[in-house]
Amino acid sequence: MRALVAAAIGLAAALALVLAVTAFGAPEGKTSPKPLLTTAPAAPGK
Amino acid sequence: MRRRASLVLLALAVFCAALAPLLRWYAYPRLAKIPPGQYQEMVLEAKDATLLDYAGGMQPKKVDKVTIVQTLKGNVEASREVEADAGKDVVVWDTLTYIIGPDGKMVSRIPERYLFDAHTQDPVHATGEMVDGDPVKREGIEFKWPFFTEPRDYLYFDAQTRTSSPIHYVGPRTYRGMEVYCFEQTVPWTKVPMPKKMPIEGIDPATIEQTTGTTLWYTVKARFWVDPVTGAPVNAEQDIQQEMRGGIAAGAPDGRLTAFAGHVTIRPDYAKYTFDLVASNRTKVLALHTYAPAGLAAAGLALLAAALWLEARGRRREDGVSA
Repeated sequence: MRALVAAAIGLAAALALVLAVTAFGAPEGKTSPKPLLTTAPAAPGK
Repeated sequence: MRRRASLVLLALAVFCAALAPLLRWYAYPRLAKIPPGQYQEMVLEAKDATLLDYAGGMQPKKVDKVTIVQTLKGNVEASREVEADAGKDVVVWDTLTYIIGPDGKMVSRIPERYLFDAHTQDPVHATGEMVDGDPVKREGIEFKWPFFTEPRDYLYFDAQTRTSSPIHYVGPRTYRGMEVYCFEQTVPWTKVPMPKKMPIEGIDPATIEQTTGTTLWYTVKARFWVDPVTGAPVNAEQDIQQEMRGGIAAGAPDGRLTAFAGHVTIRPDYAKYTFDLVASNRTKVLALHTYAPAGLAAAGLALLAAALWLEARGRRREDGVSA
């Protein structure tokens, strides 16, 4: 009986973790304020 | 005490064993997606290219270098609007391909709006989808392949012709130590719309065909080296040719004037930057898709074995005491 309770706790914890992570999802972010470029940058990200 | 430890180990074993498939088949399909607010720039070059000298007698001339600056900018607000109708995660990329001559002046500029499913990269159609202001309805992919790209042909959208055609899987390659897939597409000579912005004084690109009978033709042989995990190209090469035919090109040999001809490659610093970015994203995708589920499954088995061993040992001792 105690083994079953331990297994149920492990299963519930795994389900809760995955559901929480997927519910939050990846951050949406914002549209970058950087412009569409009309000159070649000297180096990437510059 | 051992009984309690074995129960804790059993709970941890079930936690790991359950988490492994949940991560792989529930969390991964929901979490692996292109972020809507991505911003990325790319610089490509065509060295020793041929470029039509619009200011100097409309004759093709050899130039040291033509630079192509390509920017992708995720439009989060537009994504939200389309998602509300589409009912799925959608990415809206506003892109600009800006072509610069050796004198630093604009040769051409082509804006695009590209909408696609954030998870599958399938195209999504909505108002605003366009190439250079012309409404289009894309089929297939553009810029990026799906996550876990398959070694097969795909439909690839060509912005110049506004059409999609197969991009053929050529085979596996090794690029900077990474196993990648090589794809190749050839677009035969095709009449294409004039760019809305051209460096010709006094001529409206929108009416040049009707007023002068000049048409623009284009062909390309494009090769992409794609990381199959992220679906992101790590390298690209294009042999592009553009010709004006008839009209203002009527006096040229065969009535054709080369507007552009060159072998376009990624500038070396951007090639390294792109490779590093893709390699980093590849690790993240593999962690969620493969490493973490496999590690958790192995940990689950090990913990279960430890729990059983501890339990068996505890029972043997109890049996010994009672005997």
